[in-house]
Amino acid sequence: MGERLRGMGKRADAAWIAAAAVVALGLSVHHEVQLTAAALTPGQITSQTAAYRQEECLYRAIRSQVPKDAAVYITSPPAAPPTERLSELSTLWAELKANRAAARWTLTLVSARGHCDGEALEVHRI
Amino acid sequence: MKALVVLAAGLGVPGVLPALLVARRWAPAVFLAPLIGAGLAALAAVTELGLGGSLPVNYAVVAVIANLAVIAWWRMARYSVRSWAGPSWGWPVATVAFVLACLAIPLTALRSPMIGWDANTMWLTKALMAYGGHHELLAGLQNPAYQYSNPDYPPLLPATGALAFSLFGLGDLHLFVDVTALLNACALGVLGAGVAAAGSTGRLPARVAAVISAGAICLVGFALSGWWGVVGYADLLWAAAAAAAVIWGLVLPKGTQALGIAWTCAAVASLTKNEGLTTALVIFALIALRYQLVTLPGRSLRSWAERAALAGAPALPGLAWAGLVRVLGIHDNFFLATTTESTATRVQATIAGMATHLAVAPVALAVLLAGSWLLRRDREHALLANPVWLWLSCLGSLTIIFATYVFGGDEIHWWLTNSVDRTTIFAQLLLYSDLAIWLVVAADTASARAGRQCVTEVPADLVESVAGRHRRLPAQRVSGPSGA
Repeated sequence: MGERLRGMGKRADAAWIAAAAVVALGLSVHHEVQLTAAALTPGQITSQTAAYRQEECLYRAIRSQVPKDAAVYITSPPAAPPTERLSELSTLWAELKANRAAARWTLTLVSARGHCDGEALEVHRI
Repeated sequence: MKALVVLAAGLGVPGVLPALLVARRWAPAVFLAPLIGAGLAALAAVTELGLGGSLPVNYAVVAVIANLAVIAWWRMARYSVRSWAGPSWGWPVATVAFVLACLAIPLTALRSPMIGWDANTMWLTKALMAYGGHHELLAGLQNPAYQYSNPDYPPLLPATGALAFSLFGLGDLHLFVDVTALLNACALGVLGAGVAAAGSTGRLPARVAAVISAGAICLVGFALSGWWGVVGYADLLWAAAAAAAVIWGLVLPKGTQALGIAWTCAAVASLTKNEGLTTALVIFALIALRYQLVTLPGRSLRSWAERAALAGAPALPGLAWAGLVRVLGIHDNFFLATTTESTATRVQATIAGMATHLAVAPVALAVLLAGSWLLRRDREHALLANPVWLWLSCLGSLTIIFATYVFGGDEIHWWLTNSVDRTTIFAQLLLYSDLAIWLVVAADTASARAGRQCVTEVPADLVESVAGRHRRLPAQRVSGPSGA
């Protein structure tokens, strides 16, 4: 009898521990399902597709407006996005320079209607 | 989707033989093979940077050498296909199918072409450099104009991305994000297979709970990383690989299979990100302690040296990259700037920032205390290691990350805002994995009937693991009521 009661008590302890783990894991799993659903709303897909198309547009603009292996310096107008995007998109095409004096071209990302979804590449020869 | 399948095959095929040799059972090997393929790509990038050549050629050479070495090892050790197959097919098939089904849920988010900021500026940039060959890679990493991209970061993701571009061309840059998400899923798959293996000696409810927990932990991994897991960031990859290393190397019963998987996963983490390297070093050290690779008194200085070399060998690829970039004068951004904040300010901000993302810690601690008090014998009976190993690796990683924030140069509040949710994924994932392991132990205990005995088949690997402790272990374990 005592053995049986001890066994029942032990199973109850195990059930509490299992319940705590199930709740913690279950809440996190639920969070993941919500995250995925949020990523797949029509609005989210549309905006992300537009952002990706903009990247592709700028990538092609660099390759069409800047000569291959050109020494370029990337500038950023005040209140504009930082220069990293153009640096990344210039990789394998242009040779990035850390200072303007060593470059032959400057690249700048500017706001412009109708180009790459509201942004355009501005290229100047130094 | 088609590209993703081709990529999985492209990475997985060169990794199949090494994965089978390491895992010796195909459930973890399914997920391990692409990770090993990515690890081989990282080694190819190390040789590309250090010696020259192009990534695809170096990858082919490294993959052929690795596979020839596996075949040679196989012939020398006279392994049979039977010994790789494992004790049965039913549970491994169920585990792989359920884990794959769970992993498919977060991967559907790839239908939305999201690319994260760091994915662009750090990882994709370096993937393009690696794709360009030795000169592009070396010149790019040394170019001060790319200093913002932390050029010293390890090469696994850029190398894998560059391989993908070699296969499919540069027409779709989002391919890089697909590769990253695929590797994240594979690392979580190995972790899930480890959680499932924790129930392999239990009763039917424990085994069912283990398989469900295996799928759940994969979803938890993607939940903890938020969208970072599907927008091209590297944090989930190193965290999941390191967590898998902890489960296989520091939780599951000792054995050559578990050790091999743990070392492989830790090596993958060390080749993915700098915090992955430091965490992997902690894990390697703890594994060496648990397996007494170095501390066990040797019969001779030579045997001691051999064991020390064995314990340190899996850390070599990550350390080789770290050494190579230092020799080439390549550094990250974090320690170049000089902070103007006091240490106390940084400590306070870091504690607050990290605590926000460790909300699961009190629950995990409560379950740890309750489990250690009430189910300690059941855990021992399941041949699982003391949870102190898992918690030590968690605390070790958190300590290093904490110190990096405190002694780094960037403005602390900006730095924490932009990274602490990602640098704590490993600790969170490990705590959730601990909960999953306790769930399996508790399910086994709760399903026990007083006075009823249960016969379970013990995998050969576990027999091997306890053979050192008990001179003879029968092929079947007879267990009485829980705790018996």
